Formats: sequence, C-alpha cells, structure tokens
Amino acid sequence: MARSKLQLRIAESPVQRYGLAVASVTIAIPIGLFLEYHEFHRGSIPLFLFAVALSAWYGGAGPAMLATVLSTLSFDYYFAPPVHTLNFTLADVPAFFFLLTFGALITGFSAVRRRVEAELLQARDRLEIEVAERTQQASLLNLTHDTIFVRDMSDSIRYWNRGAEELYGWTPEQAIGKSSHELLRTVFPSPLDDIQTEFLRTGRWEGELTHMKADGTEVVVSSRWSLRRDEQEQPIAILETNNDITVRKRREQEIQSLNQELAKRSMELEAINKELEAFAYSVSHDLRAPLRHMAGYTELLQKKASSDLDEKSKHYLLMMLDSAKRMGNLIDDLLAFSRIGRAETQKTLFSLSQLVREAVTEVRQDAEGRNIAWKIGALPDFYGDRSMLRLVLVNLISNAIKFTRTRTQTEIEIGCADGNGADLVVFVRDNGVGFDMKYVNKLFGVFQRLHDSSAFEGTGIGLATVQRIIHRHEGKVWAEGVIDCGATFYFSAPKPRGHVWKP
Amino acid sequence: METMNKLGRILLVEDDPKDVELTLTALEEYNLANEVIVACDGEEALEYLYSRGKFKTRSSGNPSVMLLDLKLPKVDGLEVLKRIKSEEKLRMIPVVVLTSSKEEKDMVASYRLGVNAYVVKPVDFHEFVNAIKELGIFWAVINEPPPGSVRK
Repeated sequence: MARSKLQLRIAESPVQRYGLAVASVTIAIPIGLFLEYHEFHRGSIPLFLFAVALSAWYGGAGPAMLATVLSTLSFDYYFAPPVHTLNFTLADVPAFFFLLTFGALITGFSAVRRRVEAELLQARDRLEIEVAERTQQASLLNLTHDTIFVRDMSDSIRYWNRGAEELYGWTPEQAIGKSSHELLRTVFPSPLDDIQTEFLRTGRWEGELTHMKADGTEVVVSSRWSLRRDEQEQPIAILETNNDITVRKRREQEIQSLNQELAKRSMELEAINKELEAFAYSVSHDLRAPLRHMAGYTELLQKKASSDLDEKSKHYLLMMLDSAKRMGNLIDDLLAFSRIGRAETQKTLFSLSQLVREAVTEVRQDAEGRNIAWKIGALPDFYGDRSMLRLVLVNLISNAIKFTRTRTQTEIEIGCADGNGADLVVFVRDNGVGFDMKYVNKLFGVFQRLHDSSAFEGTGIGLATVQRIIHRHEGKVWAEGVIDCGATFYFSAPKPRGHVWKP
Repeated sequence: METMNKLGRILLVEDDPKDVELTLTALEEYNLANEVIVACDGEEALEYLYSRGKFKTRSSGNPSVMLLDLKLPKVDGLEVLKRIKSEEKLRMIPVVVLTSSKEEKDMVASYRLGVNAYVVKPVDFHEFVNAIKELGIFWAVINEPPPGSVRK
C-alpha cells in the first residue's frame, strides 16, 4: 500500500500480534536471567517493559495487555524470590506495582495513539479525495469559455480560471489575493451596498458590470454571483461568472440609436406628409377655382362675342378653353396620384376577371365605333385594394385603346401568367404603336410621355399611378414594346395565401 | 313661366365674387336667379338664417335650398353646416355643399354632419352650368321643401 510509509507497521493477524507479545516476553526472560547471572539485578524490569512497549507498538492494546500479564508472571516466577514459584512476597510489591502500572500506561497510550492515528489516516484520505475532486473541478472550470473566479467575503480573489485570464489579461498568479473590485475597477449598476444586501439575502445576484482589462480597455459583462456558505450557514465565498457582452451591448446601443433616428425620421416624414396633404388640399381647392373662372369667362365671352369674332379669334378662345380643360385634368390626375400615396389600402380577396370586365365596360365608351378584338384569358382571384386595382386596369386598358387608335383592326389581350411561384403576373397586350425599348425607363415616371400630345392626349400620370398602386401591393410593373408592333404592360403581385391557381 | 310661380328661394354662400357671378349667370340662363340671396362668408350666412345684422329686416321664412361653399372666411362651410343641422328651427333646410374640393375627408365630414347633397364644381364651364342648372331646378323647383320655406 502506498500509504504504509506513514502507517506504523502493525502486524496484520491476531496470531502474529499476540505471538509477538509472547515472543518478546519469552526473549526478555533469558536476557534478564543472563543479566541476573552477571549480578545486574533488577535489569529484568526494563526488559519486560520494553517487551510490553514493543507489543503495544506493533501489536496494539490487546497484545500489550497480554505482554504485561506474561511479564508480571515471568518476573514473579524467574526473578522475584522465592524463585521458580509463583508465590510473591511483600518485598516484591514495588516491583510488581511498577511493572503493572507502566505496562497499563504503555497499553493505554498505545490505544490512544492508535485511535488518533486511525482518525488521522481517515481525515487524510478524505482530504486526498477532496483535493482530487477539487483539482478536477478546477480543471473543468478552466475548460469553459466563461470567465469564472471565486472571491472571499473580503473581496480577495481565491480562484481565477483560464476564461478570466483570457478575458481580463491577468494570470491566476497575478490575480489571486487581489481585491476583485479594485483589480477590475468594477462599475456597478447600483450602489454596491444595495447589491451586497440583496446578494446576502438571496444568495444570488445578476446584473451588468463594467470592468477594465489589464490592457486598459473596458469590457461590459453579464455577471452572475452565487454565494457559498459553510456548515454554520456563514457566507464564505462568492462565485462570480461573467460573460463578455461588450459587442452585444454595442450593437444594442447602435440599434437603439438607429431606432431613435428612425423614430425621428418617421416623425419628420409624418410632418412632411401632413404638409403634403395640406398642399394637396390647397391645390385641390385653390388651383381649381381660378381655372374654373378662366374657363367660365372664356366661354361666356365666346358665347357673347362669337358673332363679332373672326375665325382666328374664335380659334384662340378655343385653345384657351382646351388648355383650361387640360390643366383641370392634370390637377385631377395629380391629386388622384397623390391620394394613392396617402390612402390606406383596404385589401380583400376579389375576382380579377370580374374586375377586368368592369374596367373594360368603363373604357369601352371611349372606343365606340372602333373595331376591337378583345381576348381575355382566365384570371385568378386577387388579394388587394379593389378600387385601386380597378384604377390600374382602367389605366392600362384605356392606354391600350388609346395607342391602337391608328389600327384598323385592334387587338387587346388581357391575361395572367403564373409568374415565379410566389407572384401572379397580369398583362395587357395591344397591337398599337408600341414604343422604343430605349425609353422603357421613362414610361412609369410622372409627366413622362413618349408621344406628343397632339397624336395621343394624356397627362403622363396614368402609368405613374399604376406603378404606385402596384408598389403599394408589393408588386412590380414593367413593359415590353416594339415600335409599330404593339406593347405589353405587366404587373405582378403576391398570390393570395393558400390559393392555388393554374392558368 | 309656369315654374316661376313656385320658385324656391336659394341661399348661395360663396366668398369668391367670380364664382358668385358665374353661378348667378348659370342660374339666370334658366331663369332661376331672381330669388337668390348671396352671403359672402359663413357669418353672413348665419346672420341671414337667424335674421340678424345685415339681414335683420329680411322677410321671414327659410330658403328652399342653401348652396354652401366649404372654404369660407370667418366661419367655414363645415361649421355653418354643423350649426344648421344642430338647430331645431334650421335643420330641415336642404343644404348642398358646392365646392372645389374632391377631398374624401371633406365629403365624409359633410355627410356625417347631415348634408343633403355634395357637388364638386366642374372645371369645364359647360358642366358647371349644367350642374348649377340641375341643382337649381331640382332643389328650387322639383323638390318639395320643408314647411316654412319661402316660395314665390
């Protein structure tokens, strides 16, 4: 056994232990007799005591008692007169007393010593196990990425794991024994006294601390403290586990400041929107009135003076009226366009083919007497603002009618392609004058026109309105055209959820 | 003219003299203009209705119809409408809002206050004349006004 070095060699078996007692007394007898023979009286008593001590040392209390009894008998038989009898005289009493007393003392001491020794060994074993466990735990704590250290109740650091070394830059040798709050220059979220009171009451604390590393940079940690108490429930140590949240914290701050910025912007935007609304209102009301007056008085003049005016003057009046009317339309279209940007969309699921029929009926009035071949394909249900979508269709279809005016046989096709899975794609195709793809980007801009107004009238707001409405439906608009071969206008929008449609 | 016999009185509330002139011209064209009272702001309109101030000595009776502009100095059109519709004596007067505003919120506010019709003044004079004519004929001639209205 490894620990026999410390353990006194005690004979294992009772035979050996008691045999030792018998043997040591047996050996003491001839040596005593030998000394007696050489006139060295009373030398036998120390010899017997030595035998007792030997038995006690190596055999324990039992053998020591046996050795004491044997020694007393042997002394009586071999050394106390009358020799070779077990009778004893009064003159031998001191010797017997001496022998028995010291034998008993040695035995007693031996028993006490053995018990103490046994306890010591036990304690040592326990300690060794604990040391082994602690060592293992400590090495486990070194494995974690968390920063862990232990400090005692006077804030002196007692343990410092590798995570702590990595985060703060101090080795365990540098850190242990120092005050943690001083070393790390801890900044607490609330007064330390309050934290301590709460911590001692509950045994736990969690919060964010700011620490300073060895290199002088600041680090924000999410800190958790646990209190360790001894058997008497007295607090003895604090286990502090810290996680570096500096980056997260910085991100949070960035997000917060971005959010603030966003809130500011949206407030500004709201203000601008309000202003815009007021502006639109005033345009609606105030710009229209003088226009109406101009048109009104011009018409009155036309009526009253028509007989006195020459053809040229009549033409001028006509042009004035035409311009007033055009401006009226422009204002109306612009207002409609601005309203679309401001109005809430009220989305419902509706039949697109029904809406197309309505739109076609509405715009057909402009195409009376014309020869138009309508080709309307199967159309799905659509999820969106019905009145806005109606405006889209009316705009696209009336464009198709307008730009096919020069055709003797007009063909207009309205259909739906399945799109890329998530979106529906609706198109309006005509065989009209088309457009140059070079200018495709200008098509959807406000006031952008690709044809002169004498050939094809219009305000240049229709397609911008279409685009705005489709954008508000999270969709896209685009167009394809070839000069003199017609144009196709597409718009896409997300399919209604849970709705399967096959063309 | 036969219709003249039962032509209702029209109260035109309009601040813009040009609009007044054009409206009156349109009404004249159809001989509807001889019983038109013009109030040039909301306050004057209320003075007329309550026979106060400038209209203290007017002949009694409510107009058969009131053509009301919304954007008016002092007391605006919506306020006038609100006052009329909350007054027992006046609430029966038919009120037609005649305005340049196509704004939905104006329309909604007017109907909420109990307006009887809402007409946007067309830019085109022809359409304007037609609208005024139809309004005049309907409210001053065809429509049977509430009791207490002035009719010639």
